[in-house]
Amino acid sequence: MINTKLTTFLPIIFTLAQDIDFMRSTGKIYTVIAGILVIFIGIVIYLRRIDNKITHLEIQIKDEHKTS
Amino acid sequence: MDKRDKWMHKSYWKVLGVVLFVYVIIGGLSTPLKPGIANVTSEKSLVYAGQSFTLGVEGYNTHFKVDGKIQAWLKLDSSHFLKAKNVEVINDNTANLSFTLPTISFESKAIEGLTLITYNEKDGTAILPDAISFSKPSKLDSNITNDAIWVSSLPIFTQNTSIMFPYRNILNETIRNTFFHVALWLAMVIILLAGLYHAILYLKTRDLRHDKLSAAYNTSAILYGILGLVTGSVWAKYTWGTWWTTDVKLNMAAIAMLIYLAYFILRGSNTDFDKRARISAAYSIFSFAALIPLIFIIPRMTASLHPGNGGNPALGGEDLDHTLRLFFYPSIISFILLGVWMATLNYRTEVLNEKQQLKSQN
Repeated sequence: MINTKLTTFLPIIFTLAQDIDFMRSTGKIYTVIAGILVIFIGIVIYLRRIDNKITHLEIQIKDEHKTS
Repeated sequence: MDKRDKWMHKSYWKVLGVVLFVYVIIGGLSTPLKPGIANVTSEKSLVYAGQSFTLGVEGYNTHFKVDGKIQAWLKLDSSHFLKAKNVEVINDNTANLSFTLPTISFESKAIEGLTLITYNEKDGTAILPDAISFSKPSKLDSNITNDAIWVSSLPIFTQNTSIMFPYRNILNETIRNTFFHVALWLAMVIILLAGLYHAILYLKTRDLRHDKLSAAYNTSAILYGILGLVTGSVWAKYTWGTWWTTDVKLNMAAIAMLIYLAYFILRGSNTDFDKRARISAAYSIFSFAALIPLIFIIPRMTASLHPGNGGNPALGGEDLDHTLRLFFYPSIISFILLGVWMATLNYRTEVLNEKQQLKSQN
């Protein structure tokens, strides 16, 4: 039966056929994905912190400019 | 605060960039590859008309055993196909195919590679070019006859339409690098365009804001360029067997990077900010004008190992498989958005630094 549905894109369905948990299925690629996501989200959080610090400084300078 | 910089404080485009990149990481790495033929083994590497031989086939992501009805052909050209006489399935990924060549020899080219095509209902078609070499004119013993024939066309196959990435023999799983290596370079070129735009605007209006923005965009772009070179090098090591090669595109890309690195040395060496801005703007216009022929035009004019040039099938434009496009375009967009975010942070820091310097001088 040719698979014409998008089920191959949702790999969760396949893990039920194997007797192992999600993270160890399909050659442990999900562990790799999780690791990469952790690194990337960490970098994004760092960028966001810098962004907020700069915004804070800009507001501070704007206020000083107004009052001076 | 410049009114034109208001968009830098909005979050929606930054969130979009992050979300798209997360989508590319998850989808791009977890979508399986289409079934393909990884390897073919046989005792003979050159076969003649009339001979029988067996090919051991090793499949990737295949399911030979599922319905057992795997069929195979050897293709000589678009009107000569030889169906396998016998197929012995050993397991889901291994099968032995027996072929008998018809006793017809050809007049033309001496030795030609035969393409192996396998088909089963679950996997669709898998192709391996140059599976075995066939000697066309052969010293034929005219007493040999067999009932093998070349058929002139293949039956119509039902294709597997689920989302899977194409299988390419040397690339294997590394085809997913398209979403990172190639997307980085394309995002770099677009961000360099933004840098060029602001460089031109600076020379027109002498507004230092444009100089700062141009430098910020160029910084982001060069980061992407360096990452592109490194990811390309890693990809090359495990597909071509070497970290670097004397290939046109690679050398041109390295030269383009060096030209832009000189831009930063130029900026760093000038203390007078007006002079620095003028020289940087003029230099970045020249660098961009040099970049386009260096990495796009010259490589395409020569024979090159790198995909997309000199007769190699490209992973872009018309040649890109539609399943890859699902992740390739979002990847470019996400890299552009993330690059612009980093550039705006750079720019805003410069603005604050300048204000600080002016304040301390008064």
